[in-house]
Amino acid sequence: MSASNLQLLLEQGQFVVCGEMSPPQGADKAPILKKCGYFRDVVDAVNLTDNQTAIVRMSSVMSSVFALEGGVEPIMQMTCRDRNRLAQQSDLLGANAAGVKNVLCLTGDYMNFGNHPGAKGVFDLDAVQLIRTVADMNEGKFMSGDEVKPPTGMFIGGAANPFAEPFDLRIIRLGKKIAAGAHFIQTQPVFDFPRFEKWMAAVRDEGYDEQAFILAGVMPVRSVRALIHMRDNVPGSCIADEYIKRMESVADSKEESAAMGVAMAVETIKRLREIPGVKGVHIMPVMWESITPKLVEESGLLPRPKPEPCHSEPVEESLSGAQAQ
Amino acid sequence: MSKLSERVAGFCEKHPVLYKCVLLGENAFKKPVFRCQDCGQCVLSHNAFTCCMRCPKQIRNGPCGGTRPDGRCEVYPERACVWWLIYERAKKLDRVHKLKIYHIPVDRRLEHTSAWMNMFAGRILPIELGKKSRDVELTPKDPPPVK
Repeated sequence: MSASNLQLLLEQGQFVVCGEMSPPQGADKAPILKKCGYFRDVVDAVNLTDNQTAIVRMSSVMSSVFALEGGVEPIMQMTCRDRNRLAQQSDLLGANAAGVKNVLCLTGDYMNFGNHPGAKGVFDLDAVQLIRTVADMNEGKFMSGDEVKPPTGMFIGGAANPFAEPFDLRIIRLGKKIAAGAHFIQTQPVFDFPRFEKWMAAVRDEGYDEQAFILAGVMPVRSVRALIHMRDNVPGSCIADEYIKRMESVADSKEESAAMGVAMAVETIKRLREIPGVKGVHIMPVMWESITPKLVEESGLLPRPKPEPCHSEPVEESLSGAQAQ
Repeated sequence: MSKLSERVAGFCEKHPVLYKCVLLGENAFKKPVFRCQDCGQCVLSHNAFTCCMRCPKQIRNGPCGGTRPDGRCEVYPERACVWWLIYERAKKLDRVHKLKIYHIPVDRRLEHTSAWMNMFAGRILPIELGKKSRDVELTPKDPPPVK
């Protein structure tokens, strides 16, 4: 199976841009196809969330397939909250067969954040074990040891939160994810540069930026309310007062707020590009997907490059050198 | 594990009353002291003697991304994040290097069985660093015959 667009671009040293969209809360694929219009030729790949914040939406597997239909390369998110190891492996087979080539492995938000707080949480595996499972399947082995025929060809992602405590343990866990087989890492949105730079310095010290592609998170916000909500209600997020002050200064006008949100995000992207070891950005326009083209354009990242078609080797071969270190 | 320990475990498991006694003794010690969650495959010695199965998400390779700045859990703000506790204790006990070990998925068949006997019987598989653990057999021997 040929490598994904995202993998080829990263390996060819391009600064990549990822987007993110949440699947609809209804039995219709039209919203996905509509959102694909905002991302097509604007970003290199798009995350399809897996019941994020534990709210029921269309499955990330099917949404990823519809995203392919919409002309966008999907990064299928897969959490450990809703499926046990059998379901996870079978979904990976199905998604890969349908042409989904990127997967982001997550543990998943706890049920009490969402709209089914009484649900049973599965958490059969954790994110690190899931990454290892996908890596094993790429090498032709199910967790049971049985053969996967033919093997999957997934470009494997993991998440990292540079802003939560304990700092040093997060670096250790990032190392575990990379050793388990993660090819790329997406971070939480950056709203605190000193902290992010400290984290990147620790990542470079360990050499992890050479072993996996680090994609920094960027979140455009529309209002000061959204920022304050994130600061107060999203555990593990860290928002510098500077951003809140700037959004507050334009809080009276919707248009000005939106413009300020875009300006701040553009500034963040430009600053992130300067940090050594950051190989791309991951834009998370929560409920504001339509802003992505403007944001990417103003950041000077358009037009998006096409990968050179010269080589298309399977995932496991192309990165095994990096992992062996 | 040596042949002797396997024979001890084998003997205990053949005698349900004896096995129950071992299990009771183990639980009487581990439950109050470590708030053991009975996974039957203990990793206390790797995690600075703090049970990671107390995490609401039962993360063996923790922590998740939601630890609050003061070290509380994202799910239950009134509790401490177990992984934060593990890290603080590991620093005190000079065991941070042990946190770098990759833990294989939990074998659910061993839940509510004696971790000590499982260790003696060689049911708890070695957990190794990084790349090597991919070679570890993920489905161990049969579970103990008694529960």
